[in-house]
Amino acid sequence: MSKIMTVDVLSSIKGAKPSEAVSQLFDVIKNAHTTNNSFNANINNNAVSVNDLREDVVIESSAIEKEIIKENFPKQKKGFLVVSKVIEE
Amino acid sequence: MESQIHTLHKKLVSQEISCLDLVKEKLEALKQNTNNTVNSLLEDSALESAKKVDQKIASGESIGLLEGIPFGIKDVYMVQGTYTTASSDLLKNYKSAYTATAIQKLLDAGAIPIVKENCDSFGHGSSSENTIFGAVKNAINPELVGGGSSGGSAVNVAKDYTVFSIGGDTGGSVRQPAGYNNVYGLKPTYGRISRYGLMAYASSTDCVGPIAKSIEDIRIVLNTMSGKDAKDQTTYTSKAITEEAISSNGSIKSVGYFKNFVESDAIDEKIKADFFSAIEKIKAKGIEVKELDFFKSDTLVSTYYTLAMAETASNLSRLDGTNYGNRIESDNLKETYSVTRSENFSEETKRRIVGGNQVLSQGFSDEIYLKGLSLRDQISQNFEEDFSEVDIIISPVTPMSPPKIGDSLKDPLAMYLSDAYTVGFSLGQLPTLTVPQGTETGLQITAAKDNDELVLKFANFLKDTI
Repeated sequence: MSKIMTVDVLSSIKGAKPSEAVSQLFDVIKNAHTTNNSFNANINNNAVSVNDLREDVVIESSAIEKEIIKENFPKQKKGFLVVSKVIEE
Repeated sequence: MESQIHTLHKKLVSQEISCLDLVKEKLEALKQNTNNTVNSLLEDSALESAKKVDQKIASGESIGLLEGIPFGIKDVYMVQGTYTTASSDLLKNYKSAYTATAIQKLLDAGAIPIVKENCDSFGHGSSSENTIFGAVKNAINPELVGGGSSGGSAVNVAKDYTVFSIGGDTGGSVRQPAGYNNVYGLKPTYGRISRYGLMAYASSTDCVGPIAKSIEDIRIVLNTMSGKDAKDQTTYTSKAITEEAISSNGSIKSVGYFKNFVESDAIDEKIKADFFSAIEKIKAKGIEVKELDFFKSDTLVSTYYTLAMAETASNLSRLDGTNYGNRIESDNLKETYSVTRSENFSEETKRRIVGGNQVLSQGFSDEIYLKGLSLRDQISQNFEEDFSEVDIIISPVTPMSPPKIGDSLKDPLAMYLSDAYTVGFSLGQLPTLTVPQGTETGLQITAAKDNDELVLKFANFLKDTI
């Protein structure tokens, strides 16, 4: 997809525009001196090691958890959860 | 201030007070309060739990230290069956389906949650004014802000409405309101406490943090919540911190401070003078104090906000009214997303989401986002070098005293820059505690990663020193 997307589309926020205050923060970064421009993923590396991965198991939600999830869902109709009409593009 | 947890525990065990009366008293104080600290009260469940604690004591059973102790929870934590609004319109009717690990550990220890606390919406703010529940008013002067984003939590502790509260700290959101309201607030080492069930703001710096009136209470609550959790794979196993280990100051020989923090024009003269006065008192105790070089404040703030906005834009993309939230129907799916988000997010939240999508987009990511990550690496390296020279770094919490309610919202850049002293330690993922001493908004004590024990130890030393 080569189409240019504006920030309001990217953010799904109507009429959104870049803010002056935030742009000033970005200018500081653009002008900052870095010893090199590549970051080292190992310094703040919080990823878990392959040997330490948790079990890939399906855990059944409790009855109350299921009930609350349904209660939270924005819309219900005749016992079904209602999603917005999907568009094709 | 002595440990309130120990004092109340003794009173409960000796039946000098009943747990029901204690919980009722706190709930009543929260209902009456005019500081806008409450999003919802957990009255029924709290009273029921209190009765059980009283029954246990009456039947001669022993109770744990935290059993029956009433506490508050920032309204960004999942607690099954409770409203979890993040102080936002989007989630104002959202109920947690499950309970956050940190909170579950407190529940397992018998502590009683009594209130979901007001805060900046999704943690986006430094004043607790960005909320649908009304600006949180400062505990000391209600014309001033309560600080943010965990403002309701800090004010509740300061006013004794809760014995302790659980805040969340991404860039200073526990430490700054603790400083503004003269209580203790800890941002532990990143990963020490599970983030599972904490609504994500910026996942690489989000931390669960206790707020309390004594170092001992911070220690007790920290120990209870800490530990590895399979549901948050950034967590690690830590050793419990004992009361004895933090009672004497034998091992701390040197303290550093960042000279550019206090030599800047941006710092209030009184805060600066008080900070140097505290430094003199530390020196007088025979501790070596070193000046350290650090990144400029605007670089720290910009690096933090660039990365935090990128992360929050991603984390909040799920809030579209289809999976979660207050859906507003429109012509088609895209319009429904867009109208839902436009109408339900606050201006500050929208500003951060848009900023985040800007830095992550093609053409900007190399110049800003990746450079931000590179700066973060350098900041972390700087800390590593510092902690090979000193045991502790001490700094003011904020450059200025708390602003008046209404002022922060007018000038977002000024609000971002007011986080200058807290965000660096978040980027470094370091344990940092605000103590209500030294300057009007307190002091921050920081140690190397996973050295939370040393932070608490030095806080005990400062308590008797300044």
